[in-house]
Amino acid sequence: MNHILPLFVAVPLGTAFIILILAKVWRKAGVPFALLTSICLVIFSVSVIGQASIYRMGNWPPPWGIVLVLDGLSTLLLLTISVISFFALLFSIRYMDRYTAKPKFYALFMLLVAGMNGVVLSGDFFNLFVFLEIASIASYALVAFGCEEEELEASFKYLILSGVASTFILLGIAILYSLTGTLNMADVARTIGNMPANNAVLFAISMFLMGFGLKAALVPFHPWLPDAHPAAPAPISAMLSGVLIKALGMYVLIRLIFNVFGLSPFLSSVLMILGGLSMVVGGLLAIGQDDLKRLLAYSSISQIGYVAVGLALGTPLGIMGGLFHLINHATFKSLLFLSAGAIEYSTDTRKLSKMGGLSNRLPVTTTSAAIGFLSISGIPPLNGFWSKLIIIIALVQAGHYILASVAVLVSFLTILYFMRVQRHLFFGDLPAKLAKITEVPYLMRVSLVLLAIMCLAMGLLYPFLSGTILDPARDVILEGTAYVHRVFGV
Amino acid sequence: MNSLLWPIVVPAVAGFLCLLIPRRVRVVREVLALVATVWTFVVAIQIFRGGEYFLQQDWLQFGSFAVAFDLRAYQFSSFVLMFIGFFGLVVASYSAAYMAKSDVGKRYYTYLLWTVAAASGVVLSDNLMILLMFWEIATILFYLLVTLGGTKQSSAAARKSFTILGFSDCALLLGIVFLWAIGGSLSISHLSVKLGSGFAYITFILCAVGALAKAGAWPVHSWVPAAAEGAPTPVMAFLPASLDKLLGIYLLARLSLDLFIMDRAMGLVLMILGAITIIFAVMMALVQHDLKKLLSFHAVSQVGYMVLGIGTGVPIGIMGGLFHMVNNAIYKTCLFLSAGAVEKRAKTTDLVKLGGLASAMPVTFGVTVIASLSISGVPPFNGFFSKWLIYQSLVSIQQPIFLIAAMFGSALTLASFIKVLYSVFWGERPKKLHGIKEVGFLMAWPMVALALLCVLFGFAAQYPLQKFIGPVVGFNFEGVPEKVSMVNALWSPTLATALMIVGLMVGLIIYLLGRVGRRREARAFIGGEVLDTDQTRVAGTGFYDTIRNLSGFRGVYNDADKGVFDPYFLGGKLGAKLVRALQDLHDGVLSSYLSWSLIGLGILLFLMMM
Repeated sequence: MNHILPLFVAVPLGTAFIILILAKVWRKAGVPFALLTSICLVIFSVSVIGQASIYRMGNWPPPWGIVLVLDGLSTLLLLTISVISFFALLFSIRYMDRYTAKPKFYALFMLLVAGMNGVVLSGDFFNLFVFLEIASIASYALVAFGCEEEELEASFKYLILSGVASTFILLGIAILYSLTGTLNMADVARTIGNMPANNAVLFAISMFLMGFGLKAALVPFHPWLPDAHPAAPAPISAMLSGVLIKALGMYVLIRLIFNVFGLSPFLSSVLMILGGLSMVVGGLLAIGQDDLKRLLAYSSISQIGYVAVGLALGTPLGIMGGLFHLINHATFKSLLFLSAGAIEYSTDTRKLSKMGGLSNRLPVTTTSAAIGFLSISGIPPLNGFWSKLIIIIALVQAGHYILASVAVLVSFLTILYFMRVQRHLFFGDLPAKLAKITEVPYLMRVSLVLLAIMCLAMGLLYPFLSGTILDPARDVILEGTAYVHRVFGV
Repeated sequence: MNSLLWPIVVPAVAGFLCLLIPRRVRVVREVLALVATVWTFVVAIQIFRGGEYFLQQDWLQFGSFAVAFDLRAYQFSSFVLMFIGFFGLVVASYSAAYMAKSDVGKRYYTYLLWTVAAASGVVLSDNLMILLMFWEIATILFYLLVTLGGTKQSSAAARKSFTILGFSDCALLLGIVFLWAIGGSLSISHLSVKLGSGFAYITFILCAVGALAKAGAWPVHSWVPAAAEGAPTPVMAFLPASLDKLLGIYLLARLSLDLFIMDRAMGLVLMILGAITIIFAVMMALVQHDLKKLLSFHAVSQVGYMVLGIGTGVPIGIMGGLFHMVNNAIYKTCLFLSAGAVEKRAKTTDLVKLGGLASAMPVTFGVTVIASLSISGVPPFNGFFSKWLIYQSLVSIQQPIFLIAAMFGSALTLASFIKVLYSVFWGERPKKLHGIKEVGFLMAWPMVALALLCVLFGFAAQYPLQKFIGPVVGFNFEGVPEKVSMVNALWSPTLATALMIVGLMVGLIIYLLGRVGRRREARAFIGGEVLDTDQTRVAGTGFYDTIRNLSGFRGVYNDADKGVFDPYFLGGKLGAKLVRALQDLHDGVLSSYLSWSLIGLGILLFLMMM
């Protein structure tokens, strides 16, 4: 069954090239191929639920050969990536009508997915870095896809900051390589585990914290995100905020800290401080935004803070909350970005101050946006409520009362920016300019409604989710450096 | 199905059905709402008569944090449940007439019924998390109900209410999680935490913020007057006037009677909050020019008595507080409903534009008089008895300052209701309001029923006290000698009665002061020109501007208008500054962003290498 693993990378990568080649003769090749690939990936990732396996490229055993590692944690991420990218693609079919060079869009989209799947599956540092760069470069291009002044500026900032992060990550990898003589993650973990405490390792960890922290948009490494995410086309914003910062940032950070280096109390508190800062700063800044997508972008920073805090706790409950919040955030944030895109599609503006009374004209869009916002504000029984609750319980259980209070306070900040948005979505008078707007096309609505239903379902079906995908992922994190034994098959 | 589920499931399902019924067949929807609320009321009575019921159902388990769907009905919760059913019924009937022409009727009934379901859930739940979930659902429904007002003010009112209630719900959530950390359980009937450590105090305060905000006590009260500006009147009568009081005070009572073992210090804090609430809100009420807003400030002021009563920690005071909760819900709903009747007919609630409606709307006038006397604590109406109990308890624990505050508040309440009665029902009727008629049966009977209850609970106060409230209070705070036995306190003529009369006299004097020198009736003579009555009539509000302009008060009132005493406003200002500062940091310059990242890395490296 483990022969399916390389397909997670190969299929979207291949599709990306096929689309570009076919586009020469069939200009509309993008949609069917991308959608088909995406459906395949959803099926693949559902089929690997509950499995754990190692794929040895060319049957070379680690640490010599390239390995792809599938376990509970990577399954969780694969599932998130494929489901969200399916909805984003479904949405983009009509949304992208207003852009040119559509085949390029779908090709880049596939490249992005391939890169993220590769990062999540790869078992060695070198491939991790390669896939990281594939996904990052695809995302730079996608952010700039509109080719207007704003998009180009945002993309440039993103490119520079993210490029710096990649450089530091590479530096960290180089240091580890010089120290251990291997690039296989499990092998590195084993070698470091047998070595006395070493400053070089700590140096490398700092590099990774900064590098992946920047990819995950933790404060103070966050400022690229509020420029890049709003500038991208809506489905890409959904992909970036919904999954990219998690797959490239949070996931790798967690994988390295727990499975390769082992969580020390010090690392835990560093990550918690970063997470706490992100929660507060992101939440506060979101309140002050007039641009709907920018508001959502800041809110992503705030929510990724919750994930970081939950995971950094290192207790079973905290990890559970962090992971649950990770997939919940993927759901409601992509829902929100897609709704924001739909609103922009109809009204041609992202400025809240230029909107008003939209709910009469765009009932489906505004209702799904409201569900997304209620979920992100932690209103029961939607999914966001449960994951925040678990994180708060875990914080209190571990005796972090102040951080628990901060987490609750930030959830109040979330209510505040929801209040700000609802004022323009549901109340006020429809501006004269917008008198003729109509609801967005059918396919876009389908995507929104399905995501909104998911927000509700994931809240109600927590026991089911916990049994099938969350528990295995949590166990992988909890096993810590025992990861080594799994990879080497001991 | 367990009978405890009925009061939650039936209104919830009926609410869904209301959504499905087409807009045009209004009657079906109204009948459905009435049937569902009557049904809930009847079931609630049965539950009340049946004694204790349990329902236990495990649900989610996060470590030892067990969210179980446990319901429990006992004396206290089932009597509150009964009143929830009753108010649901009263408001549903009233709304059938009031909302007749409204185009939001469909959603209105759905939200109304769901609110009944959520409120029932709150009082029945025996697990703190389940309580919180129903609690938050009630908050959201209130937000949705306010938005049905459909005006610019409704939007602002809904936003303000949801912000304040959302904040307090967050506090409650944190309090509940902390409570679990101390007590190790979420089951309400098993928890009993001793106050003493700082952490326990914080936990109690967090939970109390949730309860007080729902009830509308100072300093988390300002959503009530804000909501009054935007919400449809029956919504005001239903939530801030009755249901939210029942829920908030119910939770506060559970907190201080069951969940925590109170001590004097915390009781004193509650008493201070209560006293401030009484005085502050009633002073604000005195100078209002809008009937609904005036009533909403009284809705805040009366909460003070309940909090004060519960804060005393003696059985008699708690009984007084809980009895006042019921009484206040009755007369305040009655007052809001009559305000709604006036609004329905006169199309305004501006006191300046009203007057002389007594003869046109005799029923409304009658019930308003009864409810006004009730709220002012005039014997023999119900408000008198609950206030009396509270005064008694204050005498027994020797707290003269709080006693004076409570009685002074009562006097001012009377003064401000004289203003209401004068401005709306007496005086000369403005020309615009000629030809006004009394409201129809559907709107009238709820008001009359409530007014009758005011009288009934006054003349026969011992009945509700013995049946409903007495059994709840088997408790006293630590360190308070139990020298005040119930029988003794209830029926002995004490200092309170005398002070009560003094309070009434003060009210009368304030009223008379407003009228000194205006007793001679004569037509104004302006060179023979005939002025019409609209130009010569004196609106009732004018008298009370005197209070506003008293030296010493003027500044305070002006500050209050600017929102200086409103945490919502202050917090908003502070928050805006903070946000602005953070925004200024994000200048969009790449090099500064880059330097943050590098500085961040530097700090990380420094910490790592230490």
